[in-house]
Amino acid sequence: MTDQTTPIPHEAEPVKVETGDDWRRLSPIAIVYFTVRNIINTAQGLVYAIPAIAVSFNAFDSFNSPEAHIGIAAIILLTTSSGIISFFMYKFRVHNQHVEIHTGVFQRRYTNLPLWRIQNVKIELPFYYRPFGYALVVLDTAGSGKEEAKIVAVPLDYAHALRKRVLFEKAHHNEPLESATAQSSQHGESVSDSQDVAAEEVLNTRSVGDIVIHGITNNRVWIILGAAAPFYDDVFGYVSEWLADKGLQLNQLVGEQAIAWWQFSLYAFVVLMMVMAAMALLSVGGALFTFYGYTLSRAEDRYIRRSGLLNKLEVSMRASRIQMITAKQDWLDKILKRVNLYFEQNSTASQQVQELMSPNKLIVPSVTESEALALSQEVMPGCDLHRQHYQMISKRFILHWIAVAWTVPFLFAVTVGLLSDHTDIVLLAIGGFTSICLLLTLRWWRWGIAFDERYIYVRRGRIGVDYLCFEPYKVQQVIVKQSIFMKRRGLATLKVVLASGAVTVPFLPEAYVHHLANTVLHDVESTRRSWM
Amino acid sequence: MVSETQMQPQEEMFSNEQITQHDLPQLEGLSLEPISLKYRTMNLFFVGVFATILITIVSALRFNPFFDLPEDLAYAYPFIVAVIGFLGTLWFTYHWFADTKIKYAVREQDISKQSGLIFRGLSCQPILRVQHVEVKRGPLDRWAGLAKLQVFSAGGEMHTFEIPGLPLEHAEQIRQFILDHKDVSAR
Repeated sequence: MTDQTTPIPHEAEPVKVETGDDWRRLSPIAIVYFTVRNIINTAQGLVYAIPAIAVSFNAFDSFNSPEAHIGIAAIILLTTSSGIISFFMYKFRVHNQHVEIHTGVFQRRYTNLPLWRIQNVKIELPFYYRPFGYALVVLDTAGSGKEEAKIVAVPLDYAHALRKRVLFEKAHHNEPLESATAQSSQHGESVSDSQDVAAEEVLNTRSVGDIVIHGITNNRVWIILGAAAPFYDDVFGYVSEWLADKGLQLNQLVGEQAIAWWQFSLYAFVVLMMVMAAMALLSVGGALFTFYGYTLSRAEDRYIRRSGLLNKLEVSMRASRIQMITAKQDWLDKILKRVNLYFEQNSTASQQVQELMSPNKLIVPSVTESEALALSQEVMPGCDLHRQHYQMISKRFILHWIAVAWTVPFLFAVTVGLLSDHTDIVLLAIGGFTSICLLLTLRWWRWGIAFDERYIYVRRGRIGVDYLCFEPYKVQQVIVKQSIFMKRRGLATLKVVLASGAVTVPFLPEAYVHHLANTVLHDVESTRRSWM
Repeated sequence: MVSETQMQPQEEMFSNEQITQHDLPQLEGLSLEPISLKYRTMNLFFVGVFATILITIVSALRFNPFFDLPEDLAYAYPFIVAVIGFLGTLWFTYHWFADTKIKYAVREQDISKQSGLIFRGLSCQPILRVQHVEVKRGPLDRWAGLAKLQVFSAGGEMHTFEIPGLPLEHAEQIRQFILDHKDVSAR
C-alpha cells in the first residue's frame, strides 16, 4: 500500500491520469490500429462487391497483371495513409474529471465524457499492441453502443490507472446518493489501493479442455466463418479437388444413376460426417479464439471477465447491475453435464451482433453444473437454480399452438398431397406435424415458474433447458395477457419486463398470475430499490 | 370519459394503502377509466378517408381519359376495389370495437393500461422505474384535441408504455403527476 496523499490512485510508480490542459496525441502504434480498422471497414464494404468483381473478370488470371498490382498497391497505400491521417487527426485529454476526444478526418467529432458517467471501462489488447505494452481503452456510457468512446493507444499502466480513476470517481460521485457512507469511504480507500490485481478474487477460470468442450457443444462456427467469408470460393475449390484426389467425384455422383441408392446414401453420410467434423473443429477454433485464457474475477463489487487468444478482451460489470442469471443447457450440454452461464445486464435491443463480446452479457462458458450453482449463488446469494418445484403451464398451451399455428398448414399440405396423388407430401406433412406436436409437448413440459421470498425462477426449453433467475424488485414493467378463451379457462400469460429483456410465461392459472404480478409490483414499489 | 375535476384530486383519491403480505393491492380489481371516445372517431375517420383516397386513386387510373390501362389491369379493377373495401371494413370494424376497450388507471405508485380485443393485455408500469415521459401529438391528434402519453423505462423501446387518445389536459396532468412523483423527481 502506498501513502495516500491525493485521492488519485497510485501505482507502484504513480501514473498521472490527468493530462492537463494540453491535448495529447496517441502513441504511434495507434497508426497500426487505425490502419487495421480502416482495412476492416473497407473490406466489409467490399464484401458486397466481391460477386460483381468475380463475375467481371477471372480473379486468378489477372492477379499477376500490372493493373492488379497497381490496384493492390494503391489500396495498401491508401489504407496506410488513411491510418496515418486518422492518427494525426486524433487527440485526447483527461482534464477536470472529463475525458475529451477529438476524432475523425472528414467528419470531426468531439466527445466529452465526465468520468463519473462512464459505466464500463474495457481494456482491449489487440495482438499487435501486446509486445509494446499498449492498450485500447473503451469507455462505455449508459447509452447505446454507438456512444462509446475509444482511447486508441495508451500505455497499459495508463489504461489501468484510468480505469481505477473512473471507478473511483463513480464511487465518490454516487456517494451522496448512497446511504452507506461508512461503506463507501472504505470503498474509496480500497480503490485508491495499489494495482488491484491482489484485491481481485478469481472466481473461475476455463482450461483449454473446457473451451474445447464449449466449442463442441455450442456453435461458435460463425466466429471463424465470419472472418473467412472472402475465401469461401477458394476453400470449396480446394475441398472438391482434394475429394477428387481421393476418388470421390461429386459431379459424377449427383449426375449419374450408375450407383446404387445405398452407395449414394453411404457417400452422403460420409460427406455429412466430414462436414460435421469440420464444423466442430471450426467451432472449437472459434471458441478458443474468443475464450482462450478465460478468467472471471471479482474486485470490490465488480465482476471482470478476461479472455481472448489474439485480442485479449476485458469486460467488467457491476454486481448490482446484473438483472438476471441465465443458465443454458443444450441437449449436448446435458449429456456432458455442462452449463453456459450468463449474467445479463441492461440490453440495448439493437445490438445482438457481438453477443459474446458484449458488456451487456457476461458469459461463463461451459461450466460444470456444480460450478454453475456456486457462481449463481455468488452473484445472487441463496438462489437455487435447480429447484424442483415449478408451477407448470397448462396443457392448453399445446392445444393453442396446434390449433392457431399448425393445423391449417398441416391440413393444407395433406390436401395438396392427396389431391395430387403424392404420398410423400402426405407422409412428410404427418411427420412434420408429429414432430411439432412432440416439440410443443416438450416445451409445455419444461416451461414453469416459481418464486420464493427473494427470487423468481423460470424454467424453459424444448430439448435443452434454460434456467432463469431474477430479483422481483428489479422489474421494470408487468404485463398480464389473456385471450377470451383463456379467460374462460381461468388462464393468463405473465410477461415481466426487466432491463435485460422480457420474460414470458404463458398459460398459467389466472389466480397465480395475479398473485405474482401483485407481489412483484409491491416489491418494486415498496422497497424502492434501484435496479442498477 | 373522466371530467377534469375527477382527475385533479387523484393523488389523494387513489391509494395503495393497506400493505401486508396477504393483502396486496390488487391489479385485477383496478377501476379502469376509458380513454376519450374521440380517439375512436378519429381512427374511424382516418380509415374511411384512407380507403376512400385509395379507391379514388385506383378509379382515377382506371377511368382516366389520357391513356389506356393494359387489359389485365382493367379487368382486375373491380377486384382491387373489393379488396380495398374489404380490408377497410375489417380495419374499421376492428377500431369500432377495440378502441373502446382501451382503458387506463393511475394509482399512487403505478400506471396501468388495458387494451386488446381478443387478446387482452393489462400492463402496469411502476412510476419508480420511469426514465422519461413524453406527450406526443400527431396532426390528427391535434385536430381532435387528443394526445398520446408515452412512458419510457429501462425495459427498452419494445416495452414503451403508451396510452393513446387522452384529452390533452389529461395527458399533461398524468405527465406532471409522474414528474412530480417523489421517486422520479428524486433522481
